[in-house]
Amino acid sequence: MTSDSFLDVAGAEKAFGGITVLGGVDLKVAAGEFISLLGPSGCGKTTLLRIVAGLLAADRGAIRLDGEEIGAKPPHRRDVGVVFQNYALFPHLSVSENIAFGLKARRHPAAEIAPTVQRFLELVHLTDFADRSVRALSGGQQQRVAVARALAVQPKLLLLDEPFSALDRKLRENMQIELRRLLRELGITAVFVTHDQDEALTMSDRIAVMNKGAIEQLAVPSTIYRSPATAFVLEFVGLSSRLSGTVVGQDYDQVVVDTAFGPLRAPGSFVPGASVVLAVRPERIKVNAPGDYALVGRLRDAVFQGSKIQLHFETQGSDQLMVETADLSDGLPPPGTEMRLGWAVADTLIYPAP
Amino acid sequence: MTTKAAPSAWRDPVALLAAPAVIYLLVVYAFPLLWLFMKSLTGPAGPTIQPYISFLSDPFNWRVVGNTLRVAAWVTVVCFLIGYPAAFALARAGAVLQIVMLVSIILPLSVGAVVKAFAWQIVLRRDGIVSQTLVGLGLWDEPQRLLFTETGLVLGAANIFLPFMILPIYSVVKLIDPRLSEAGATLGATPLYRFTHVTLPLTLPGIVSGVAFVFSMSVSMFVIPSLLIGDRFQTLSTLTGRSFLLMRNEQLGSTTAVILLVLAVSIVVGSTWLARRIGGRST
Repeated sequence: MTSDSFLDVAGAEKAFGGITVLGGVDLKVAAGEFISLLGPSGCGKTTLLRIVAGLLAADRGAIRLDGEEIGAKPPHRRDVGVVFQNYALFPHLSVSENIAFGLKARRHPAAEIAPTVQRFLELVHLTDFADRSVRALSGGQQQRVAVARALAVQPKLLLLDEPFSALDRKLRENMQIELRRLLRELGITAVFVTHDQDEALTMSDRIAVMNKGAIEQLAVPSTIYRSPATAFVLEFVGLSSRLSGTVVGQDYDQVVVDTAFGPLRAPGSFVPGASVVLAVRPERIKVNAPGDYALVGRLRDAVFQGSKIQLHFETQGSDQLMVETADLSDGLPPPGTEMRLGWAVADTLIYPAP
Repeated sequence: MTTKAAPSAWRDPVALLAAPAVIYLLVVYAFPLLWLFMKSLTGPAGPTIQPYISFLSDPFNWRVVGNTLRVAAWVTVVCFLIGYPAAFALARAGAVLQIVMLVSIILPLSVGAVVKAFAWQIVLRRDGIVSQTLVGLGLWDEPQRLLFTETGLVLGAANIFLPFMILPIYSVVKLIDPRLSEAGATLGATPLYRFTHVTLPLTLPGIVSGVAFVFSMSVSMFVIPSLLIGDRFQTLSTLTGRSFLLMRNEQLGSTTAVILLVLAVSIVVGSTWLARRIGGRST
């Protein structure tokens, strides 16, 4: 029996005390791929990870890894490595003993263990810390020990449960790039759990956006960002301007929507009368550009963010109108300034109103 | 590894916090102990080590030492075998259950050893509940008396000292991250390997304190053997008690007391040291 995907989760279900945490999730991961499970806390992403690792039994569903059904195997016979959120390093062991733990547990010969440990110490730049107690390490160093420990046994699959959440921002960005490089060099297939959209966008080959125990969209990062499949994905990944309205007409492959700012166009097809939400990514909106524009907004607030400026406009109800633009040459405009805002119809996203 | 030199204890005002305890222990513990020690070394005609020589040359006394250590060792083993898993159950139990368990472990401590030993007298009698249960289960052909036997003594003493094994182990287990065992599993370690290489070394400090508590309490218990096994079975404690209270032989009493103290302290310190060595960096 062969399968196209290296990891194949089919119909995974899990409920805790009558509450469904995972409602029949399917996930296929190709060999060498880096997949992120992205979602808010409680969306079931960690539950799915623990089921794949064998630390939790699914109520229903099948898990195949490398063509082999592993759903019934205990975790120590699955060959699935895990980097835990708090790293879960063995506090009574040194850095190199932590890395050697899995090799010793699998009864590798001592002559083989020492060079392997050495190699992974080098890969995570911790050679000088080999004999230190893991408790004497900084957060970033502990994280690297956890990665090296999980990789040293050369698992078929590496699972990472929010491994960067305890690190400060600068360090986190460095570690993300570092980890991605390391996994690519070793050709490891990885599933990465995070609630941080930037992290998911930066690191993943594909992202599975999860909500309420189901995968809402599974796609490459650019697709997730540019064409979110659902309003939830739109809201969870990246910022957006959102205007609610009613469909008033269909014009070939475009609909006309009546909004608080007047009629606006969007690609798609909806029955007239349907309540919808229009959305545009803030950096797609042009300010005071010559030519056509969609609407005139009244500035509420301008926020300087270094490389860019965020403009928030006055709206009513649940509408939200924001623009990200490069630094304006004549400084921040004062609140109350009226500005012409325009964008391409093709950049407009449309969803049924929630 | 200290990064800066620790301030001298004399100059550190925090050290003063220990002063009440130090003074108290000096007055009610160290001085009487010193008096006891001096007493054992003072004969009618000045300093002597004769009491120790005559004590150690009597085979009966060696039996007493043997009784003392054997009973204490058994009590410690029984407490450990029951207490170690119990400590895990306690540490991993839900909030309400944990409180119920803690209360049922700690509350009996307020019942004195004398009361509990009398209760065990009833339990261990020929018509007591242990004997009746074993006969009822068909394990014994006829009712037997466990009272005034070594088994009965170990059973009763283990019950009384059990909290002192459970509580220190519990306090250590509570601090162990359950993910450590999961991490071991995902690295390919079997449950047994995880236990011997992760759980056991990490709980060693708790085991060491629990064993030290129970051993030193059971090596020196006096009331419990008096009530559960009687005069025919002597331990160093009961012998010390008899020497002072019955025979009015202060010299013999202080000699046995000093021997008991030296034995107990060296075994507790020795086993602690050994455990720390085996456990490596675990503490």
